[in-house]
Amino acid sequence: MRSESIDNRLRLQQGAKTGMTIAEPDRSPENKGASTMAHAHEHLVYIHPAPVRVWHWINAFGFVLLILTGFQIRYAEILHIMPLRQAISLHNYVGFVVIADYFLWLVYYIGSGRVRIYIPDLRQVVTMAVRQAVYYGYGYFIGRPNPHEMTPDNKFNAMQQQAYLAIMFIFLPAQMVTGVLLWKIKGYSEYINLLGGIKVVDTIHVLLFFFFTAFLLIHCYLATLGHTPLAHFKAMVTGYEEAGDREETTDKH
Amino acid sequence: MKRKTGSSFAWGLLLMAACCLWPLQCPAIDNSECFDCHGDTGLTKESTDNILNTEITESLYVDEDRFDRSVHNLNGITCVDCHSDIEELNYDNEVPHKKNLKKVCCASCHEQAGEDFKNSVHMKLRTKGITMTCYACHGYHYVRQMEGASVTERENSICLKCHNPYQFHAWLPSRSSHFANVECVVCHAPDVPRHINLKIYDLVSNTFYDSNRLFNILGVDFDQLMKTVDKDGNGIIDPDEFETLVLVLKQKNIHPVFHAELVADISSIAHHVNRGTAQKTCRKCHLANSPYFKTVEVVFNRDDGTVDSYRVDRGVLETYYVNHFYLLGGTRMKLMDRIGLLILAGGACAVGLHLTARILTIPLRRKNEEESS
Repeated sequence: MRSESIDNRLRLQQGAKTGMTIAEPDRSPENKGASTMAHAHEHLVYIHPAPVRVWHWINAFGFVLLILTGFQIRYAEILHIMPLRQAISLHNYVGFVVIADYFLWLVYYIGSGRVRIYIPDLRQVVTMAVRQAVYYGYGYFIGRPNPHEMTPDNKFNAMQQQAYLAIMFIFLPAQMVTGVLLWKIKGYSEYINLLGGIKVVDTIHVLLFFFFTAFLLIHCYLATLGHTPLAHFKAMVTGYEEAGDREETTDKH
Repeated sequence: MKRKTGSSFAWGLLLMAACCLWPLQCPAIDNSECFDCHGDTGLTKESTDNILNTEITESLYVDEDRFDRSVHNLNGITCVDCHSDIEELNYDNEVPHKKNLKKVCCASCHEQAGEDFKNSVHMKLRTKGITMTCYACHGYHYVRQMEGASVTERENSICLKCHNPYQFHAWLPSRSSHFANVECVVCHAPDVPRHINLKIYDLVSNTFYDSNRLFNILGVDFDQLMKTVDKDGNGIIDPDEFETLVLVLKQKNIHPVFHAELVADISSIAHHVNRGTAQKTCRKCHLANSPYFKTVEVVFNRDDGTVDSYRVDRGVLETYYVNHFYLLGGTRMKLMDRIGLLILAGGACAVGLHLTARILTIPLRRKNEEESS
């Protein structure tokens, strides 16, 4: 099944341009012996467009660097990864890269109108979120299918939708704003005073720093819940998720 | 009778001694006599500029009001104490004293400062033919008490007269913040004792509360206030007692913003500024328990530049009462570390528990899958 995926992707890329995103399964004779479960994965869906993938990986590496340098800056007496001055300098540069990257994300999602995938349907959000939580906490372990099926227009499950909405529109902007204020304390002293002082700004930045560190850990773990542990990671490189892959239905890992 | 005669004799001796000592106790020349002429803004003399070697007109005017507020006048130092080669004034002459007076030697009184100055880059300038005098930095007639001076006042009145810090600190992150909150000699004179000055700032008027204004509002004096605040009487305001200070101020509708600055003690060791010895290691300061801010004082400026000050436990710097000061890494709040640890531990536990359950339930999922197929 893997050998045909490139042909499928070519067709999918054409399909994506015309709005058709789900590819037909390959019925060629050489694939007749493929397993039933493999058929469940034979549809490739173009879920992650190139701008999203570029944004995602810049953001990911940026976050890792910001977290490492953040720990070095805050705990200089314990950690000795790099000199404090270099840590501050690197933290500042990477911070601005992540800010620029955020605007790439914002322009793409607002410009393409796809930002609606972040907006939960208020009529169903609670029910769907509870259902998703029950799945993660129970259904997954006994092999039940994921209640959410990933499509280009409905990429996130209800829990992801709420989490990413808060992260992308509240937490990340707050982290960026407080980071910029801390970068030029003297120059932005008026704004810092308006927010209640540098310690308030620093507290917001540090709490979000811990939150994002924990988030990264959980995010990476949840990304291993595809039909193979690396499936979602590969999808974020190629752009294609396997349709019919209700994530953990075939996971034996 | 004898006793009476003896008493008269003693009084006579005392009177004679008083008469002999009287001229020594009184200044030979009163300041007011000097200001008769030097209080005139138009008093000048023709002179030669030492560096440019050109003729210049030098003002001989001294602002009496500013002089009166100077540290020398407040300590009873008169004009002729420094200009000691003026022994008498002869008003028959156009200039009632010698036209060319000797240069004043500050080290005659400030002996230790003179010694400490010898070990400085400014003294070494003499080998290049440049003489740095004391008053090139400190001025002379208007030297103020600097204990309560802000970093800006200290720098403006001394170092920034010659140096532009932005020319030499390209390596320093957040330069403007350092320049605004850390006095130059804190880093450039590595031996000087340092402390944090906490001053009450009014964000509305953009001014510091001085002692007069503050204690007028509070209706108590400094000692009474500190007795109320320092409940255990150990001479140090700890974080809990600091809360009392804030409450006392708030009761009088003063919403204190504590402005903190890292300054050098007023010490002659501050003259030990030498090329290549400045403190450039960030971690000397940006470190929990850095010795640079072990001593913290809350200070209230008096009109004359002196201060009412009180020791404060450095733990206060880690509270939200001192909201407008944060020394990266150095004054971080331990509470934040604990909360951060909880958040990280929460994330790690969630992952760990799910992963464990995921591994343990693999057989169950396999079995269910086989049954369904």
